[in-house]
Amino acid sequence: MDKLTREEVLHVAHLARISLTEEEIEKFRGELKILMDDIDKIKEIKDFDEEMMYTPVDGNARLREDEIGDMLSAKDATINAPKKNGSFIEVPVMINE
Amino acid sequence: MSKYLDLSIKEIHELLVEKKITPLNLVEEALERIEAAKDLNAFITVNDKVREEASTLGEVDPDNLFFGIPIAIKDNIVTKDLKTTCASHILDNFIPIYDATVVEKIKNAKMLIIGKANMDEFAMGSTSETSYFGAPLNPHDKKRVSGGSSGGSASAVAGGLVPLALGTDTGGSIRQPASYTGLVGMKPTYGRISRYGLVAFASSLDQIGPMTRTVYENAALLNILVGEDEKDLTSVKKEKEDFTRFIGDDIAGMKIALPKYFVSEIVDKEISDRIKEIISLLREKGALVDIIDMKYLDTAVNLYQIIAMAEASSNLARFDGVRYGFRADNIDSVDSMYAKTRGEGFGDEVKRRIMIGSYILSGENAKTYYDKALKVRDDITKEFARIFKDYDLIIGPTTTRVAPMLGMTKDDPHKAFMDDVLVIPVNMAGLPGLNVPVGINSEGLPIGLHIIGKSFAEATIYRLASFIEEVER
Repeated sequence: MDKLTREEVLHVAHLARISLTEEEIEKFRGELKILMDDIDKIKEIKDFDEEMMYTPVDGNARLREDEIGDMLSAKDATINAPKKNGSFIEVPVMINE
Repeated sequence: MSKYLDLSIKEIHELLVEKKITPLNLVEEALERIEAAKDLNAFITVNDKVREEASTLGEVDPDNLFFGIPIAIKDNIVTKDLKTTCASHILDNFIPIYDATVVEKIKNAKMLIIGKANMDEFAMGSTSETSYFGAPLNPHDKKRVSGGSSGGSASAVAGGLVPLALGTDTGGSIRQPASYTGLVGMKPTYGRISRYGLVAFASSLDQIGPMTRTVYENAALLNILVGEDEKDLTSVKKEKEDFTRFIGDDIAGMKIALPKYFVSEIVDKEISDRIKEIISLLREKGALVDIIDMKYLDTAVNLYQIIAMAEASSNLARFDGVRYGFRADNIDSVDSMYAKTRGEGFGDEVKRRIMIGSYILSGENAKTYYDKALKVRDDITKEFARIFKDYDLIIGPTTTRVAPMLGMTKDDPHKAFMDDVLVIPVNMAGLPGLNVPVGINSEGLPIGLHIIGKSFAEATIYRLASFIEEVER
């Protein structure tokens, strides 16, 4: 069976910000190739118009007035955060001096 | 064990009005049934406050048909203070701080949320086997799947645990499990029901809808769910209508199209034969049924893969381990937090789709794949419009085969999409589509008829569906 290279798998995994184990890299080499071949079939469709359809909704989205509405409390906003400190969410250091 | 939940909603309602039973009786019965049918694995979370909620309705007079009726909610629809996991490890401790708009409507009608139904992880799959919590089983044959992605909703209703459930349908995820389990399942027109509070998979395709035992109960539940919502700017404003209004009408004069592709060699013979019998019956009763050519139907899976995976890769970027959900240990930077959290938090199917989706949207690929898919999507939509100039409805089988055995499509990334080949075109065009059961095959497994309508013509779909249901009875 045709497979992607290890590098190709790591490339799409990086685009998706997903870390993979060695075992997964090997497994996805074959599985992702099947999907890549599937999506490539779009190239075979010759009979089509240029107009694109982004959404089934006619006339596209209405927009709300840009007004301040309901707001979350700090408690609600952080209630599901996996790591927090008081009303702040903790993340790893982003900028190293 | 009492048997109130086997009655129709109308009969249950009468008992509630006459105060012969209480909502608590119904909830107790549903909880007993869920406990007794634990092996179906229909629920991820059972609402441990539901007895309390039912008790508060004890002294209240029923004000609508669904008052006090237990309902299952698919676990990708957020429920305030009730765990919502999307069947994923990455959200397995997530407690929403608000209700989805449909959940608000259900609570306003004083229905009782019995629990959160199992599903494919983030609704990605066609057998519910991608669930982090294991697959729900088909009550007709526990060695078989109940379909997906709304497989838990289907198992719960078909197994008699609750009379009603909400599912969601991005590429057939209400209609296909309804077909596999012998239920009525409606994917309404895109925009008919607010998606606010539905955890997004593919935003231009996703739609919430009812899964029920009967056509009437489906239409009546849809009455409650619909409406424009300022929190979902793709929801559409429409005149209020009663979706049950054509139920029981005769079908003489209805114009129905059956595309050849829907009874081609891709469909199991026993199923095509059953559909052909239905056609003869419809003609006998005065409906016009034409077998027609329809272009682009065979491209729909291809379009779906591209559009759904691309939109999913963007929507699921929000799961980063910062604000909610699971965060991996042993991280030394923001980048490693993202990648390890997502690597450990998502299952294989979700990873595959996000990776391919990211690839589809990267650089020039967006033109080659995504833009091209949107062009053909426009063509398929126009093709539906062309057919609907001459016909009221389009019909066909909902699925190419009956419910498969457990494990048959697992880890086959291609087959998972092919289960939905007949239902996906409807999502492309944003049209309403419904599964109505049309008997069983030689193994005793349900077969489903798929009825597709014009945009916002759900009531016409229910008209034909109710006729077929009556004949089947």
